[in-house]
Amino acid sequence: MVTKEKLKDYAGKLMFDMDDKGYDRTLEEFETIEKHMALIGQIEGIEEVDPMTFPYVIYHSSLREDESKECLTEEEVLSNAKETKANQVKVPKVVG
Amino acid sequence: MKTIMDLRNDLDTSKITSEELFNESNIKAHKYQEEYNSFVTIIDEYSKVDANTLLNGIPYSLKDNFSTKGILSTSSSNILKDYIPVYDATVYKKLKEAGAVLVGKTVLDELAMGGTGTTGHTGIVRNPWDKERQIGGSSAGSAASVALGIVPFSIGSDTGDSIRKPAAFGGVVGFKPTYGRISRYGLFAFASSLDHVGCFTRCVKDAAIVTDILKGKDERDMTSLPDENIKYTDMLNNDIKGKKLFYIKEITDLEMYKDAGSETLEVLTRFKETIDKCRQLGFIVEEVSLDEKLLKAIYPAYMTISCAEATSNNSNLTGIIFGPRGEGNNINDIMFDARTKGFSELIKRRFILGSYILQKENQERLFKNAQRLRRIIVDKMNELYKEYDAMILPASGGIAPKFDDAIDRMSDRYLILENHMAIANFGGYPSITIPNGFVNDMPVGINITGPQFKDGETLNIAYKIEEKLGYKGLIKEEYDV
Amino acid sequence: MYNVTIGLEVHCEVKTNSKNFSSARNTYSEYPNENVDTIDIGLPGILPVANKEAFRKSLMMALALNCKTPDIVMFDRKNYYYPDLPKGYQITQMEKPVGVDGYVMINVNGEDKKIGIHDIHLEEDTASMEHFSDYSLIDYNRAGVPLLETVTTPSIHSADEAIAFLETLKGIFLYTGVSEARTDRGQMRVDVNISLSKDDTLGTRTEMKNINSFNNVRLAIETEIKRQTEVLENGGIILQETRRFDEEKMETFPMRSKVDAVDYKYYIEPNIPPIKIDDSWIEEIKKEIPMLQFDRVEKYMNEYNLSRYDSEIIVKDKSVSDYFEETIELGCNPKSSANWITSVILGYLNKNDLKINDIYLTPKMLVELINMVDSGKISSKQSKQVFTKCLEENKAPSKVVKELGMTQITDDKTIRDIVVKVLDEHPDLIEDHRKGKNTFDFFVGQVMKATRGQANPGITASIIREEIEKR
Repeated sequence: MVTKEKLKDYAGKLMFDMDDKGYDRTLEEFETIEKHMALIGQIEGIEEVDPMTFPYVIYHSSLREDESKECLTEEEVLSNAKETKANQVKVPKVVG
Repeated sequence: MKTIMDLRNDLDTSKITSEELFNESNIKAHKYQEEYNSFVTIIDEYSKVDANTLLNGIPYSLKDNFSTKGILSTSSSNILKDYIPVYDATVYKKLKEAGAVLVGKTVLDELAMGGTGTTGHTGIVRNPWDKERQIGGSSAGSAASVALGIVPFSIGSDTGDSIRKPAAFGGVVGFKPTYGRISRYGLFAFASSLDHVGCFTRCVKDAAIVTDILKGKDERDMTSLPDENIKYTDMLNNDIKGKKLFYIKEITDLEMYKDAGSETLEVLTRFKETIDKCRQLGFIVEEVSLDEKLLKAIYPAYMTISCAEATSNNSNLTGIIFGPRGEGNNINDIMFDARTKGFSELIKRRFILGSYILQKENQERLFKNAQRLRRIIVDKMNELYKEYDAMILPASGGIAPKFDDAIDRMSDRYLILENHMAIANFGGYPSITIPNGFVNDMPVGINITGPQFKDGETLNIAYKIEEKLGYKGLIKEEYDV
Repeated sequence: MYNVTIGLEVHCEVKTNSKNFSSARNTYSEYPNENVDTIDIGLPGILPVANKEAFRKSLMMALALNCKTPDIVMFDRKNYYYPDLPKGYQITQMEKPVGVDGYVMINVNGEDKKIGIHDIHLEEDTASMEHFSDYSLIDYNRAGVPLLETVTTPSIHSADEAIAFLETLKGIFLYTGVSEARTDRGQMRVDVNISLSKDDTLGTRTEMKNINSFNNVRLAIETEIKRQTEVLENGGIILQETRRFDEEKMETFPMRSKVDAVDYKYYIEPNIPPIKIDDSWIEEIKKEIPMLQFDRVEKYMNEYNLSRYDSEIIVKDKSVSDYFEETIELGCNPKSSANWITSVILGYLNKNDLKINDIYLTPKMLVELINMVDSGKISSKQSKQVFTKCLEENKAPSKVVKELGMTQITDDKTIRDIVVKVLDEHPDLIEDHRKGKNTFDFFVGQVMKATRGQANPGITASIIREEIEKR
């Protein structure tokens, strides 16, 4: 059973929070989607269908030849980072 | 309003210069900005490279979820409000090299996850035909910028119907070719297995012109299709005699929408009239019946797959390497703060849903079942395409909704009628919306969806129907409704 | 006593020119953020493009570990948030790894053992972080480097076996050229799972992650076995958890329990369409796998009658082993060749910090040198001199021997004439010899002096003996 507490936990694992009403609305959406998905689960023979990730498969793609190409410059790598030091991205100390 | 070909002609005969065209677009962009809010960024400085293509010197707009080196690219989200990319999306690069001139980056629903044009971080986009109405989304600003006559074409992205729905509400053409036909490199991913790049234009031929420039194998996108040695523009005069179209009974049957109100009935009646016109053109059009259960499952399955992929695709938005840095004393707190402040509630709700769908204990029941449903639908469609050349359906069951009267796409009334265009994303089918006249003074559209890889053929069918219907290059100020 | 069961997960960086999913350079760099492409820092809009060579090498490793290989390539996403993971997900393989159900033979203190391979999969490395007193710095050079993870079945039962397995695995990486497998550069990292039980069932396991040297793997295993034994002996229970091995305190400490284990929400990476692996490609790769250490040792012991000790020394470095085998192919006696390599050449290489392919002496030249000794053309002592000069002056042994005029005198008459002359000059010493005094070596020395050391010592000795008898 999905509860608001669980939703808050899920949100935490996705690295954000929102206000209480947000969770209420999420709960409603969960019910709707679960209801609809339950109907999908009832479609006859669905369990035998192979889940589809790609719109089609024609094996047109090939692996990339192992050649190194030009990299970004260090300035480009760091250009959007808010804190940098010694050509690296600086963050509060990471522990564990 | 002029089409790309008209402008091409004017440029080639020196009636106007590319810079003058750009200036006209720029002035219009500013003029309409406050009222309609098409743009996140309007570009004021003219710059272009010379090239020998049909798009050389033609102004255009680009959805703000494409990476443009040195130009702000926000995806209409606070979490990217200050992000200036260091690389060009393949489509932007191709357009630049083709000599097209960027006029501005257009507003979208935040991170392309929405269909209203109301959730961008810089405000709502209004419908040029009625300011009190939505233009739809997520490529809202792109649709508006073409519908307002600011630019003759715009580049958008389409994951469920994000080009083809706003095209219908804005009275313009919206086309997305087969999945993989246009590289996605540099398109900020929403749901990678459903995301398509496409365009808004004033006429079908222009859509073919733009797609001819954009298509092709990209070594930066493994899902991009191999080059083919054809031009879609060359396929627009092919004979359509005996070509077979189908429409789905469960979507279009008037009997099913008795309580739906006059607008829906009018849209459907108009659709039936269009079918008759298609027959007059020489098409064979047949009604096909599909299991309603499957059709009703399209939107839930679409939501399930797209939210799941989106939650993963947007995990890079943590404010560490780019985007506003969150506050806090430890690394988790700063990521947490950046994401809490950076996403609107709607986005967060979808991410929670998406991550729930992907949880180990739910994957089978939710994610994989949605993917199974996707396969059932696609198999069914592919089977139909063995017999038919394209599917034709109304792009929406109504006209653009008012801001205070938003459609609940999950409600029984709209479940099928407003969501069927996601079929083309499930199967990666080429799909185009073209204007089909007006209901209550608002534009409505029809959608034509062809089989995989038959982009030119699909465009040709739309081209012939467009010719017959006569709605081309619609913009309000020039059109007497 | 408890039954110890160990499973290992070994991460090893694959040697390629470019990264696994981007075209950025894959080289070890001292300078931060210089080997970085858009993909490696997870910029919005990026798409992974899979590296053929990384995949080929992974397949090669899977085949070397006797794994079943897939007919199509697929990748999956592993989703989690950590500052060293810019995309917020790692591209790895769950559903269709490059290899499953394999095994590898190892030798533990003279005994052969089969270690099961659960699977081997290709993924990408994370960025590296450096930690300071109140901040950390992130360098993305390592982000996206191809990483091959080998997962054993729980078929290891001691620290010795674990180390033997790791040495064997490292040997395979080096022999196949899949990786440089340098632990000092963090190219090879080990996760250890350990459980204890009284019977055949598996006990609750604990995991220690990211151990970066084989010696620490041994210490961590021994320490954790000791800890678990103590807990169980005192009637306690083992918690399923991740523990950290502290090499200074020689203890393991709990990090996080299974209760808050992360759900990685794996799903198929939608940006890498399935790619078919041709059987012909697999066959081609199979052919490129050289005979590996374990089999070479068997061969050297069984066919060449070498000791395990010498065999293992020779196979430690593939180029040495290949060198050795080339001399055999040239018809050299395996024992002589092995002796030369283990006692002379490797000593020289170590002393001068060289690789066997760096020195002037080719296998052909070594065979030539050994043949000169065996045929008595030069003495064993002379041969060492020739070896040194050969390397110092980049000259073939035959040339050195010629230049030094180093041919042996074995002709009976020539030596006899000199012996007779020496004996004639020292009748008193012959007398001393007969009385039991050792004057024999003096005569030998005089003959050597007269021939500048070229007289064959054996022949000389017997002629001296004969001539003394005659008088």
